[in-house]
Amino acid sequence: MRTTLPFVLLCCLPGAPAPPLPAGGAVQVEIYEDIAPGQTFDLSSAAAVDRYSEPAFAFIHTPAKFAPNAVPLDRSTPYYLRATYRRSLTGNVQFRLRARGAARFYVDGKMVAETKPQKPNTSSDDPVPPPVERGNTPLRPVVYPHQDSLVTVDLPAGEHAFELIAVVGGKGLFPSTGELAVGVSRNGEVDHLLGPDESPLLTDPAWEAYAAASFSRHYAADIVRRRAVSQEVTAAWDERHKNLRERLGTPAGGATVDGFIDARMKEAGAKPAASLTDLEFLRRLTLDTTGLIPTPDQVRAFLRDDAATRRRKAIDRLVEDPSWADHWVSYWQDVLAENPGILKPDLNNTGPFRWWMHQSFTDNIPFDRFAAELVQMEGSATLGGPASFGLATLNDAPMAAKADIIGQAFLGQKMSCARCHDAPFHPFKQKDLFSMAAMLAGKAVKLPVTSTVPQGEGGRKPAVTSALKPGETITPAWPFAKLVAHAEGDTLPAASKVDTRRELAAYIISPENERFAQVVANRVWKRYMGVGIVEPADDWSRGKASHPELLAYLSREFMASGYDIKHLAKLILNSNAYQRKPVGLSADQMSAGKRLFTGPVHRNMTAEQLVDSLHLAAGKPFDCESMNLNPAGDRPARQFLDLGNPARGWQMTALSNERDRPALALPIAQSIVDVMTTFGWRQSRQSPATDRDDAASAMQTLILANGVLGTRMARLSDDSWFTDLALSNRPVATLVEETFLRLMSRPPEAQERASFTRLLEPVYRGRIVAGAKARSTKRESDGRVSWSNHLSAEASLIRMEEERKLRFGDQPTARLTKDFRERYEDMLWALINSPEFAMVP
Amino acid sequence: MAATALPKGKADACIFLWLGGGAAQVDTFDPKVRGDGKKQAGSYYDAIDTAIRGVRVCEHLSKSAPLLDRCVLMRTITHSIVSEHAAAANLVHTGRMPSGTLQYPSIGSVVAHQLGPKTDEVPSYVVMGYPNITRDPGFLGAKYGYIYLTQVDIGPNGLVRPPDVDAARQDRRETLLAAMRDGHQKRNPGDVVVQAQADVSRQAFRLAGPRFMGVFDLNRESSTLRQAYGSEFGQRCLLARRLVQSGVRFVEVSYNLNFLNGSGWDTHNEGQLKQHLLIQDLDQSFATLLQDLEKNKMLDTTLVVIATEFGRPPEFDAGGGRGHQSEAFSMLLAGGGLKTGQAIGTTDELGKKVAERPITVPDFHATIHCAMGIDPHKNLYAGDRPVPITDQGKPVLEMF
Repeated sequence: MRTTLPFVLLCCLPGAPAPPLPAGGAVQVEIYEDIAPGQTFDLSSAAAVDRYSEPAFAFIHTPAKFAPNAVPLDRSTPYYLRATYRRSLTGNVQFRLRARGAARFYVDGKMVAETKPQKPNTSSDDPVPPPVERGNTPLRPVVYPHQDSLVTVDLPAGEHAFELIAVVGGKGLFPSTGELAVGVSRNGEVDHLLGPDESPLLTDPAWEAYAAASFSRHYAADIVRRRAVSQEVTAAWDERHKNLRERLGTPAGGATVDGFIDARMKEAGAKPAASLTDLEFLRRLTLDTTGLIPTPDQVRAFLRDDAATRRRKAIDRLVEDPSWADHWVSYWQDVLAENPGILKPDLNNTGPFRWWMHQSFTDNIPFDRFAAELVQMEGSATLGGPASFGLATLNDAPMAAKADIIGQAFLGQKMSCARCHDAPFHPFKQKDLFSMAAMLAGKAVKLPVTSTVPQGEGGRKPAVTSALKPGETITPAWPFAKLVAHAEGDTLPAASKVDTRRELAAYIISPENERFAQVVANRVWKRYMGVGIVEPADDWSRGKASHPELLAYLSREFMASGYDIKHLAKLILNSNAYQRKPVGLSADQMSAGKRLFTGPVHRNMTAEQLVDSLHLAAGKPFDCESMNLNPAGDRPARQFLDLGNPARGWQMTALSNERDRPALALPIAQSIVDVMTTFGWRQSRQSPATDRDDAASAMQTLILANGVLGTRMARLSDDSWFTDLALSNRPVATLVEETFLRLMSRPPEAQERASFTRLLEPVYRGRIVAGAKARSTKRESDGRVSWSNHLSAEASLIRMEEERKLRFGDQPTARLTKDFRERYEDMLWALINSPEFAMVP
Repeated sequence: MAATALPKGKADACIFLWLGGGAAQVDTFDPKVRGDGKKQAGSYYDAIDTAIRGVRVCEHLSKSAPLLDRCVLMRTITHSIVSEHAAAANLVHTGRMPSGTLQYPSIGSVVAHQLGPKTDEVPSYVVMGYPNITRDPGFLGAKYGYIYLTQVDIGPNGLVRPPDVDAARQDRRETLLAAMRDGHQKRNPGDVVVQAQADVSRQAFRLAGPRFMGVFDLNRESSTLRQAYGSEFGQRCLLARRLVQSGVRFVEVSYNLNFLNGSGWDTHNEGQLKQHLLIQDLDQSFATLLQDLEKNKMLDTTLVVIATEFGRPPEFDAGGGRGHQSEAFSMLLAGGGLKTGQAIGTTDELGKKVAERPITVPDFHATIHCAMGIDPHKNLYAGDRPVPITDQGKPVLEMF
């Protein structure tokens, strides 16, 4: 749509006077919710629920909404975004309103441009829109299915008021803003975003930079906002923990992790493993706290510290690293069976409560609060609150599944068998599981027919039985009176309206229920030491504590610290026990009596640690397709989730191509998922797991050696950190040295130095190609393919071609000679594929 | 059922052809009176005679029809997941609904677990199609997962070297890698875990060596045969035969050439108009596969399956296509030493419901397992939890 309106005429139109608007500075933004359908665009009688500012007229992210306990909430759908701004602007000016859905743009109170509402789309065989015509302009093209509405206005000299009102989401639509923006230009030049002078151009690079900055700004602002909004609740938890500390009194002094470990080793006549070197320690510690290998800068800073205190200082530093949250989310995704589906989820899928977990570990909320909030299942179900945990699509006993997960995670009670029958080898019955399920449901539940063991006619008598009959009703009740007999739901800060959920949370986290603190302490211990004090860590009725006093000490410390995981972590990470060389785990160590912890158990990097560390070392972003099979946004969130653009392994998800359709493939993401699944990551987490199936396999070696991801990581493209290193002016020996430090966190051994120098030296001097330029390294997928058109033949062909192209990996740099490049790539390949790389020291 | 009643077939490999999307039984293996593509329900095509007396199939299956005596048609497969492809595809692959306490293995993984590869130089389970949950090993663990490829000429993921790495460069890489490995071992003397990891790394490259990778080189077949197999799907079928010859136990071949008609087998709306292209293409490849297996004396020991997540109703939707129907639809087994040349089960007049002899998904699984000499009631173990291979599946005894 392109119109030109004479401003003078506009001014003569009748209408209410423009509301007072702030002048200059930032763009003021307001969010409105629950606007009645008839009231579209009339916000005069509504009150804004959020106010914030943006640097210019582009609205890619909006603030998250939080409950008083900081749990994320859904906004009404639709909600409205209103942006206002005043500045002087004179003469013939073209405005470009860009929106996915309905929006209106006003100058001095008069509407000058509008876009049409987005319609929910139930089709999947629309035609693929034609490729974007870029022409000669660097203008960022309109991304399907956004609309541009252009208007030229002749503005008299002086200050003017600009206002945008946009509808976000709505029935049958995904509630996101897309690329909502207003551009301004003169004389056919490229648009700037409307805003202060020097606002970014509406070009791809400037937009991408703006979008990245917008993400960071909103991410940081959300942290501040949720901490502010939850101050009272946080204070109530602090009070609860203060009381607990007083009740516990001062612990007897002198106890340490090493005291307990050394005593048992001495008793058994066992010798501890040797200590890790400083550099081995730093690699282990950084992986265990942040999920990443240390950068050369971190290594150097560490070595600059005083030798006597550098380990302790590194621990203090790294538990405060923002990546602490990333590394913990991976773990709890497994344990709590986080299993979002991005395409019409129907395989026992939850919502993406990864987001709430991530914020909880970022804020380091006390772990009893974490458990209580999870169990109460409030907040946004589809967009990532604890209510997301409560979903279990196409599961006829969803709350039984949740009760089993909670039992394993926080109580060491594995009740999976009780889903269908009385557990033959456990001290509980099917009724116990369903009683807890009823507490979660907030009402009595019926035993579904599938939750029974068939007693077929003339068949074998099953080895298992149940006292319950299909269809039988089970009322809410706490099944583990042995752990704790009494708890009051009302004592919890910010408790749920559902009485029995509140009570369940209160039972689980009750300080009288020492099992909770012990189970969590044992999990943290196991994560760092490779094996638990109690095994199986999720099924305590089958194991005994190898070091009961150590377990009691850790759990008491944990409780006294206010259930602070970081406190617990520091106790373990500072111990000699943790700082020893790893030892193999023999079968007999799985029995408590023989487990001595002479050293931490050998571990390979987890799938997430591996892909995250590779990307970090290569300096390459994930840059894969977004975890969203309907970027057009014309379907509701419950059918198509948008899990965004992953930057870390835990943000990946099952790619949900059960339909086996080429048009639904996400080739770059698939290449990452391929590596992760081969290294033990579960793309589908239909059930909880404490241990991963990640034993070394031929496919692990091969997928890294030959797969797309490994090829990309070793490829010297123009966005590789190693390409920059190779282009810098330094001796070949330094290149080898720095490469080792970057990938292996250690200098090369003499022999390694010699052999890699031999490889590179002959072609090193002339390696730089004079005059060659850096090339774009963007790995883009065709934004035209969406669910609404994936059944068109063209959509299949587009994706199949993308897959084919990707096989070659990233475009190599032209700035280095082919011979040198290939040799250096082969060095990188050899380091990345060496077993040492993926083994935690 | 008493354990002794279980038949034991002689198939030692399975080629599982997957028609993702839900192939319309009335337009393929269970033709009914002609409909008009609009209000009048019924088949979209005429029917033709087959090598089984009294059994007719869609006219576009003209190459397979004379070979139907090598097949058993199952026209009364029935389950209750009608709305969603993923859930139905998962059910047909695993034989079970998700429980939330376990992730059940796919049939390919179960076969891999029970039989393993015929030789230790090949994997036991290969998928040609997209990796997804329905094909996963579930609680059996990654060891029983698959190697996959999405397009024949791209080759198996993780096994094919990147296009810019030739043999000489690979040698240089492996030499450098060997030095890294050896150094690591030297610095950790006596560490058995370091030793084991080094061994895995050393041995892994053998799987990607010429012996197995040669299987993927279809140029080793005559061009006449390659042409006879036809499209990309046909080439996948040819590769499946080569994989089985090399010792692979279970090959799933996806028919997802969706660009032929847009929707693939999920023929809502306009997907119906060019559905005949899919059927003809399937026909050519399938018929060639049967003949080729027979020629190589492999048909008796290779079970060929045509499976899909559900069927489609005889009625047409507003766009001239078809919706979903899971209450009654067709699948097919061929070869594998079964008593072929029969159609089992009958549906009602328009193929909407089972008239006689329903076959459940667990029955379908039990039949495949029995054909391959696997006891469908045997327990697998998820940790220490026993889980029977099928959920009380009864093999279709008429085939044995």
